[in-house]
Order: sequence, then C-alpha cells, then structure tokens
Amino acid sequence: MGNVKLALFLAYKSIIKGNRWALTLIILVMSLSFANLLLTPSILSGVTNTLDEQQVNTLYANIVIDPSEDKYYLDRSSLIEEKVEHIPGIVGVSAHLDTSACIEYEWLEKESSSDKGKGGTWSIVGIDPLREVNVTTIHEHIIQGSYLDPGDRDEIVLGVEVAGGDRAETASFLTLQGAQVGDKVRLTYPNGVQREYHVKGIFQAREMTRADRLAFVTRKEMASVLGRTIFTDRASQILVRIEQPGEENRFIKEFEALGIDGEIRSWREYGGATSGIVSSFDVIASLINSIGLVVAAVVMFIVIYINVINKKRQIGILRAIGIKRNVVLCSYLIQALFYAAFGVIFGGLVFGYGIQPYFALHPLTLPIGLVSFAVKPATIQIAVLGLLLAAAFAGFIPVLSITRQSIIKAIWGN
Amino acid sequence: MIKVKNLRKVYGHGLTATQALRGVDIEVKPGEFVAVMGRSGSGKSTLLHMLGLLDIPTDGEILIENRNVLRLSDGKKANFRLEKLGYVFQEYSLLPEMTVLENVYVPALCLGKENSHKKRAAELLETVGLGERLNHYPNEVSGGEQQRAAIARALINQPKILFADEPTANLDFASAKLILELFRKLNRELGQTIVMVTHEPEDEKYVDRVIWLKDGLVEQWSTPLPISKVGISN
Ligand SMILES: Nc1ncnc2c1ncn2[C@@H]1O[C@H](COP(=O)(O)OP(=O)(O)OP(=O)(O)O)[C@@H](O)[C@H]1O
Ligand SMILES: [Mg+2]
Repeated sequence: MGNVKLALFLAYKSIIKGNRWALTLIILVMSLSFANLLLTPSILSGVTNTLDEQQVNTLYANIVIDPSEDKYYLDRSSLIEEKVEHIPGIVGVSAHLDTSACIEYEWLEKESSSDKGKGGTWSIVGIDPLREVNVTTIHEHIIQGSYLDPGDRDEIVLGVEVAGGDRAETASFLTLQGAQVGDKVRLTYPNGVQREYHVKGIFQAREMTRADRLAFVTRKEMASVLGRTIFTDRASQILVRIEQPGEENRFIKEFEALGIDGEIRSWREYGGATSGIVSSFDVIASLINSIGLVVAAVVMFIVIYINVINKKRQIGILRAIGIKRNVVLCSYLIQALFYAAFGVIFGGLVFGYGIQPYFALHPLTLPIGLVSFAVKPATIQIAVLGLLLAAAFAGFIPVLSITRQSIIKAIWGN
Repeated sequence: MIKVKNLRKVYGHGLTATQALRGVDIEVKPGEFVAVMGRSGSGKSTLLHMLGLLDIPTDGEILIENRNVLRLSDGKKANFRLEKLGYVFQEYSLLPEMTVLENVYVPALCLGKENSHKKRAAELLETVGLGERLNHYPNEVSGGEQQRAAIARALINQPKILFADEPTANLDFASAKLILELFRKLNRELGQTIVMVTHEPEDEKYVDRVIWLKDGLVEQWSTPLPISKVGISN
C-alpha cells in the first residue's frame, strides 16, 4: 500500500515538474497514434458501409422475398404486397418481374448479318414505378432523361454501364457504346419476342458490379412480353424496404407468420461479393493497424526512452536510498499509462470532434460513391487497449533495463 | 557494527581489469565516527559503495549487525538500505523534481510512516539549518544547502550507520565546516555511527579514527584520538 502511494507520488512529481516539452511531445505522439489507430479502420468500415448501403439502395432493399425453391415465380404477388405493406414500420414494397434480353443499338447500321454490332445481353427488370421509388433509389440517380412513369410501354431506362459512352467504366465493346436518351434500342427476349423502346433515362447508381448493369421497363410491359394473362400478378422477386435498418430479422419472422409462400431473406444473405470484400478489408485493417500499433509503440518507446535516460541518475539515487525496483518501475508505468490516457482523450477529441464531423459533412468522393468515417465500438476498444499496452511496454522496458544496472552505474553513468 | 573480511573488488576483465580492493579487513564499532582516507584511486569510494550495498564485491564478506548482507536478495538489500543505512554522495544527489522537504521524506514514505514523516523531515531540516528552505527546489538553494538536505534525507529513517563519500569536496571552507560539525554533533549527541570518506587531512580532528587505504589495501589504522574530541569541543 505504502509502495503504491509512493509510486504515485513519484509519478505525479515527475509529470508535474518534469520537462514540459517532453510531456507535450509525448502526449502529442500518443494522441496522433490514437487517431491513427482509429483512422484506417474507420475509413475501411466507411467504405464497407457505403457498399452495404448501395446493396440495400439499388439492389435488394432490406428484405427480399423469392419464390419457393421449386417455383420460378411468386404467384398472386399483389396479395403479398398488400399483406406486407400493412405491417407498421414498412416503408415500401415492390414486386419485380425479371428476365434477360439481348439489347441492340443502331442495329440498322450493321453492315452484314455477321457484324455483331452494338449489343449484348443484360438483365431486364419490370417494375411498378410508383412502388419502386419507395423501395430503391435508382430514380435518384438519373443522370440523363427521366425515370419511368406508370403508364410507360415503349420506354426503357438503362444503367450507365449498359448504355456505355464516356461515363461508363466498362470497356466500350461490352456496352451499347453510347446510347443516348431519345435513341431507340431493340430488345430480343428469350421467348423470341422482339420489341423496340425509346431510351427514357440513363442512371448511374455507382454500384458497378450489378445495379448499373440493369435495364428497367414497367412491369405491365414485361408482363405483356412474357404473356399477359399469367404474368400480370406474378413476380420474380419482391423487395421490401423497412424504416429501421437492422430490424430485418424481426420483420422476416413477421412475414413468415403471415404464411407467405416464398423464401424470405435479409439483404445480407445476398451480399456475396461484398462480404468477400468486407472480410478482405478486415484483414487489411488489422494488418495496417498492427503496423500502426508497432509504429506507435516504437515512437513512444523512443520518446519515453530518451526521457527515462535523462532520469537515469535519479533512478539510481532513488534505489540508493532504498526505494525498491518495483516501486520505481511502477512509477514509470503509471507515467506511461498517464501519457497514454491523455493521448486517448486528446486523440479521441480531435477525431470525434474534428476529423469525423468534417468527413461527415464533406465525404470522400470515391468511384464507389461517397464515403465518410464509420467508427465501430470494437475499433475504439482495440485502439485504446493497443495504445495502453504499447505505452506500458514502451515505458516499462527502458526503466527495467536501467534498474537492472548496478546503482553505481546508473548514478555515475557509463 | 560492521565487520569486513577479505573484501575484494575487481573492475573489468582480463588485461583491463583493475583491482580496486585487494583484501580489505576492517571493523567499525557502534557509535564510532570513522574516516576513510587515502590517495585518489586508493579504493575509498569503492569500499563505501560495497558497505552501502550499492555495488557487489568480487569476493569477501560484509557483516552489518552480524548479518551477512551480501547474501540478501535485491529486494531485501533495498529494504536494508532503506531501514538501516543512510548514504550521502559527494555530488548533489537530490531529486530535482521535488522540494527540499519532499526529498527528505521520500524514504520515510516508503516505510509507510504516513503521518509523522513530514514533521520529522521538517525537524531534521531545522537541525541542519534549512528550516527556511523547506519548499524550495534543489536548484533554488546553494550547493552546501543541498548537501545538508541530502544529510537530512540520509537520517530520516534513523539509520544505524551513516555513510558519506567526500560530502564536503565540492563546498567552500565555511560550508564544509558546518557539515563536519553537524556530523560530529550527530555522533556525539545521538551516538550516530558514521563512516566518512575524505581526502582532507584536516578532517582528522573531527573523527574518532582514520582508516588509511593504499592501492586497495588497509595501510594502517590510526590510533584512536580521544584528544581530538576533547580538543575541538570548546
Ligand atoms: N566503474 C569502474 N570501472 C573501472 N574501474 C574503476 C571503476 N570505479 C573505480 N575504478 C578504479 O578503481 C580504483 C579505485 O577507485 P575509487 O573510486 O574507489 O578511488 P577513490 O579512492 O575513491 O579515489 P578518489 O579519491 O579520486 O575519489 C581506481 O583505480 C579506479 O580507476
Ligand atoms: Mg572517491
């Protein structure tokens, strides 16, 4: 007990009366190290969040209702829509009727029948525009022209990676090579039906892997292509948007209780490609973080080491008058933890009230979309723990080596 | 009180090895004030470091109060220093981050004498003539005053033996005299055992006995000089 008190007293004196510059420098280093430990994982989880949001906003909404395993379509989709819609907390429900089709552009300019021309095969989604706008955000990403209206029959909206041109990221020969709003395209459906549409709008949702490679027509139009009588009330998929993201599982249970004949899944189960990316990010983040931690530890080690070397004589004197090695060690450990604690506080303040709010207001514009920082509690815990451990290590080792020297050496140098 | 048998200390190895002590046998009785004298390099400081348990001899035995102190573990040695020994260095050895008063009571803090230590430290500082300087930092007082504070610190835990290695070497004549008289007073009035290294032949008159070292060996023990005690006290 007396020993702990003495160690505290020694640490207190050392901090209060010690070199102000050293103190400022050490705490600065600690603060920057701490902010650095938060930075990389937060950017990466910001990217992950953006990718997740894109999946939700452009492809899956929150909950996806698929046909049962033995069926191709959901029957009586309007009934399902109606049932689900009435549950409180549901923002929107939209049934999709999907197929694929060969889309051609400027097909009349082909020079011979063996010329492949400008075309390709893409997924075509039939939607009810009035419903769809409550569920996905594609309509907010129109970069040219406009979105579909409920009555549209010979209109199509193309993803930018389908239309092609300068704005697209995809190699030109894999696109329509620059179809514009107002141009005509010809679709050939798998059942042989061939139709021509006006390009009504082009969108760029920045979800390059899938969303920007879709084309939309109205569901009415799609049903008429596939066979009106049967398909008017059929859907390939129903997307559901909920008010509070994160409550997917609760709603899934409610849907199941309604006796819906289909597979009900959260969007996360679809995030196949992204979940791979996310776990790669986790690996990258922990790699960068380990390096960051080592660098922080080394810097702290150097700064504390120089500080401690200057106190070698004092440590010798303390031991000469009978203060135990453990008390001296403990007092320097307390100092190191004190520095680390202040590093956490200042670094945390700078990050939480400076860096993070700034990037929340001015997100980074990356090709995948807008990215702001997302700090996870686990990241903070790891950073705090890492910094404390690194500081303890950096404070402990030099003092340990000095207290292992003979007292005389510590006092008289060499 | 102290018995030293065949004490040897070799610094370094091989060709560069220095034999600082080459078999020293001495004895100090309780209540004695002993001076260790000798030429520079004769091994005085080395001897005192060994006696103060600040360094480990190459060979030999040291008995303090009949305990073989060299056999103690590191922690026990520290405790022994704390409780039984006081050490005054030649150079200023106060901790710069603490006031004079705090410097003096730090060793008491370690023994957990919670309440009395401040008062006792202040009294000791009064005794060494620093009653007015309690809350000054070491760099705010003179060298002689620092040395007196260091003596007060060495005395705070009422040590059995006080060691001092040339405590007056860096001081002017007046300050040196003050300190030697303080030692004599401690010895005479409180029966404090003191072992002091000095190179000033003048100091002989303050002490009971002188141990002369030459090249790491005891050259002679001067006969006790009871006259010196009588002679100086007016
Ligand atoms: N750490 C050391 N390493 C090597 N040699 C040492 C060391 N300390 C002392 N010596 C040598 O041991 C011998 C005795 O040294 P010591 O310091 O005990 O002498 P001293 O009598 O105190 O001298 P002075 O009056 O100059 O203080 C000297 O030859 C010295 O060079
Ligand atoms: Mg010496």
